[in-house]
Amino acid sequence: MGKVFIIAVREFLAIVATKAFILGLLLPPAIMTILMFALPLLMNKKPPTVYGHIALIDQSGKVTPRLVDAYDPAKQQERKEQRDKAIKDQMAAGMKSMGVDDKMAGEIKKQMDANPATAQAANIVAETNLILQVLPPETPVDEARQAILKATGREKAEDGHASRLALLVIPKNAVDSDKEESGQPKFGAFQLLTAPRLNVEVQSDIRDQARKAIVDTRLADAGQNIDRIRAIMARPEVEEKAVTASGDSKINAAAKMLVPGAFMFLLWISVFSSGQYLLMSTIEEKSSRVMEVLLSAVSPLQLMLGKIIGKGAVGLLILALFSSAGVAALIFFAMAELIAWENLVLLFVYFLIAYVVVACLMASIGAAVNDINEAQSLMTPVMLILVVPMMLWFPILNNPNSTFAVVCSFVPLINPFVMVLRICGSEAIPMWQIPVSILVGLVTVVFMCWASAKIFRIGVLMYGKPPNFTTLIKWIRMA
Amino acid sequence: MTNAIEIRGVRKTFGPKVAVENLDLNVPEGSLYGFIGPNGAGKSTTIRMIMSIIFPDQGDLRVLGKSSAVESKDRIGYLPEERGVYKKMKVGVFLNYIARLKGIDAATADKRVKEWLVRVGLQETYRKKCEELSKGMQQKVQFITSVIHEPDLLILDEVFTGLDPVNRRLMRELIQEQNDRGATIIFSTHAMREAEELCDNIFMIHKGEKVIDSSLEEVWRKYDPKTMIVEPLDRADLGQAWGSLPGAREASEKDGAIQISLRDGANIGELMRQAAALAPVRRLEVQRASLEDIFISIVGAGGGETAEQLRMELAAGKGSTTEELAEVSRG
Repeated sequence: MGKVFIIAVREFLAIVATKAFILGLLLPPAIMTILMFALPLLMNKKPPTVYGHIALIDQSGKVTPRLVDAYDPAKQQERKEQRDKAIKDQMAAGMKSMGVDDKMAGEIKKQMDANPATAQAANIVAETNLILQVLPPETPVDEARQAILKATGREKAEDGHASRLALLVIPKNAVDSDKEESGQPKFGAFQLLTAPRLNVEVQSDIRDQARKAIVDTRLADAGQNIDRIRAIMARPEVEEKAVTASGDSKINAAAKMLVPGAFMFLLWISVFSSGQYLLMSTIEEKSSRVMEVLLSAVSPLQLMLGKIIGKGAVGLLILALFSSAGVAALIFFAMAELIAWENLVLLFVYFLIAYVVVACLMASIGAAVNDINEAQSLMTPVMLILVVPMMLWFPILNNPNSTFAVVCSFVPLINPFVMVLRICGSEAIPMWQIPVSILVGLVTVVFMCWASAKIFRIGVLMYGKPPNFTTLIKWIRMA
Repeated sequence: MTNAIEIRGVRKTFGPKVAVENLDLNVPEGSLYGFIGPNGAGKSTTIRMIMSIIFPDQGDLRVLGKSSAVESKDRIGYLPEERGVYKKMKVGVFLNYIARLKGIDAATADKRVKEWLVRVGLQETYRKKCEELSKGMQQKVQFITSVIHEPDLLILDEVFTGLDPVNRRLMRELIQEQNDRGATIIFSTHAMREAEELCDNIFMIHKGEKVIDSSLEEVWRKYDPKTMIVEPLDRADLGQAWGSLPGAREASEKDGAIQISLRDGANIGELMRQAAALAPVRRLEVQRASLEDIFISIVGAGGGETAEQLRMELAAGKGSTTEELAEVSRG
């Protein structure tokens, strides 16, 4: 057992103590951090103030006062602040839908405001300094639009020269309907002609203000109370909760689908990358001919065990690091209730089963071939089986207790992945299925160990023509 | 004297191919055994069976008094023919790892690794990666892996391959040292010269069967000298009646010397005296059959391959056999 341990330690360090592994583990969080701090700095630049004229040809003669009011400098500033607030509210709502409670959202907002970089970043709404130019109603549109062609969109107030950025033409029938459709008045459209490079936000602001002014005018003409109607028309807020035994939960369905998927993916990644490491190191030992040197000191079984344990420790490290990062993230977003702690224990049990099975396959393949190219052809069927759980993610999560899902839970090779999906899912599964699936897994483990030990013992000393699956089965029988 | 290795009636097949057939071998403790045979004769298979890496289909095998080498792996040093190093591992770390696997504790292992690196002149490579070493240097590192735990039995498979003459001499010294320390040594080789210089005993197999198993002395006795070379001081004496000396079958001139082929059972001492009497000579020597000659005569006689083909094979595969053959004067 001492020798197995020495081998396991070397196998573990040969992967973990390399720059590539450390970089691979540290780089993704590092990139995230850099993005979090660098992006606000990049966005720090304040957008330029949009300055210029909006010409208005009001053929109805009724809308002008409302638009003049809307483009009063104080009102323009007010609207900009409203838009800022709307964006912040949207962000807050977004966080809320992810399960962040108000207290924490407030905390995040406070921090964002405190940091000049992030506070500035929220300031993405363009400042406007627009002057409404009221043209006589009989002004020909063709003549008025000529002035727009001179606009560059980059004029500044201090230059003292303002261009015409847009032209609003409000025909009479936009306010006073001249025809009816099934008993209701039908109104005409209005025209908005803009300079080609006008700021999109300013453009939509002009559009919105014109619409609002026209609708308000119509309502006033009809003798309605405008504020009252607006209050009636306001869209109702929605408050969604999922009913659970431990009380109502605000967590949405999307997150519920995501968490089991994420854990299954985590399992898959850790099993697969450690299996891959095992394959590579076995091939390396074979192709560099260090194998028989090792076999002069240890038996093939000891070598295989040591390798499987060592690379398994690498997989466990990956699993532990990423799953603790995932759990930490869920706790941070106050979504820890999505994880049942006993499931984390099961995650590790299923990892061990899945890993040993995959590791045995990889060790056999690695021992049987001479180089990585030959391994590819033997790897293909293994890969095909292992992508199955990936494809089963949605059908199984949508219906964790379907006959299909239950059957998959007892199919060797894929059952650890299927079970992790099912136990992490929203629907409880019958308790008996967990021990039974573990039992199926253990039987697979024992069989795979037995078979791969035989293949390994013969394979490690075979050079020359790469074997196919038939040969491997012959080796199992032979040894 | 007890035997380090005892093999009785061992047979091993790989599918339809018989690798080793009805093999018997005793290697006494403390002896230095040369294990020779052409490519594919079954040398590596036999060694692997001794090492319990593969197992015989039939027969008995005892190593250091145990029925399997697994039980005494830490007492055996083995340098396989297919050998290598971890390319990315540092030399010191690699040797320490192997030493630990051979059951040496960490502190002793590192001390011995450093001593051995000094002994083979590679002390400056301790912190180098194995892939930075030349082939010959790697060879020496691999040799260290087989002796680091001071084994009682040392099995060296093709140990001289790829070494230059200087290192080949060093390797001979190292092997001799191990033998002097009391280790039983078996080495398989194509390098007949090394075998001749090192071994007490020769063991030869061909096509999975044993053809020679005796001391080197016996081999020389059995394969009697067949040729005597006379180089007269004066080239004019080349024309003397060398062919009619007692025991001579015929004489021919080659490169300023006379080669006399001998009859079976010729009295060599008498023949040499007579030859010296015939004319003053610069060189008078009985050419002993080299191991290579013996090897080829056995293999060539039994198989379809011609002796010349075998000689080419040996020369191509193993550099050492291209050297001049050993010449021993018995004058």
